[in-house]
Amino acid sequence: MGGAAAALDYDAELMLRVKDGDGASFGLLLEKHRTPVVHFLYRMVQNPAVAEELAQEVFLRVYRSRTTYEPTAKFTTWLFRIATHLALNALRDGKNERLQERLDDDSAEMPVRQVSDGRPSVEQRMVYQAKLDEVRRAVGALPDKQRAAVLMHKYEEMEYSQIARVLNCSESAIKSLLFRAYETLRARLAHMA
Amino acid sequence: MRCPLETPQSVPLLLAFVAHELDAPQTAAMAEHAAGCSACREWMAGMGGVHRALDAWEAPPVSADFDRRLFARVEKEVSWWDVVLRPFRPATGSRALPIAAAAGLLIAAGLWIGRPGAGPVLSVPASAQMEPLPPDQAQHALEEMDLMQQFSQMVHSDPADPRM
Repeated sequence: MGGAAAALDYDAELMLRVKDGDGASFGLLLEKHRTPVVHFLYRMVQNPAVAEELAQEVFLRVYRSRTTYEPTAKFTTWLFRIATHLALNALRDGKNERLQERLDDDSAEMPVRQVSDGRPSVEQRMVYQAKLDEVRRAVGALPDKQRAAVLMHKYEEMEYSQIARVLNCSESAIKSLLFRAYETLRARLAHMA
Repeated sequence: MRCPLETPQSVPLLLAFVAHELDAPQTAAMAEHAAGCSACREWMAGMGGVHRALDAWEAPPVSADFDRRLFARVEKEVSWWDVVLRPFRPATGSRALPIAAAAGLLIAAGLWIGRPGAGPVLSVPASAQMEPLPPDQAQHALEEMDLMQQFSQMVHSDPADPRM
């Protein structure tokens, strides 16, 4: 992506200002991308503490790279490439080896979706948690790259081309990857339809 | 319209249809096909369930001290030039002036110490002598300091961020 494309990417402009020593621009980038990055990492590793630790590392790497930053891609592509790289490494290194145990332990930390009267009954809460655990297990059971692709597609609403750049694949490979991932999820979660 | 389930290259169309990403004409064409294709209807119903299930998966809020922890880590990243040059930086004034002053001072000191025929005025131990600082490094260090001041302001002006 050249200079013209970078001109369209406000985040890349902010990053160039950080490169020039503007700390406030780093603050703006953090404010804008903190939550998406943490949430993406949370859904990748399925542990809030590990996700925040990884997100800290993501933004630290962004900060460290400021002097050599060149807007050769969309800023979010670069950002999520760092995040995905760290998440895949964390999964590979076994930081998340107790995933299944935590799926049970973390239930109390999860936000509980309110029903219409604002106060879910115990039964509704249990049903919701059971469904949620099933979703988390289904996503957690996907191969790492498929999981990353689904999360970027579903929650970050990234286009195929951008996901392809993040995962360093061709666009057609991403389409195929996503289809396989959604098919797996469909098979596992069909009874919830 | 040929059934997208029979043509792998059309599968993204199905995914996009379920995710409401298609434009109006494509949406209409797909809906028309699905109306007469039970396989597609079944596939779409299943995929709709997947999307609803994924929609229900909310992530926990980000810790309120996330930024503070990050800025503390960023602060540790500041180069040792910052420490060396801190006394040269005035508390107020424009950015260019202290940069130029510090760089000029250090260059002048370097030239003076290294001038031909200049004997040592004072007997300074080798370990206490300073190397002349290149202007670009001095400027970089001062920019680091400026960045850190801005971070500190952000952290101190945002004691309890009620985000999320």
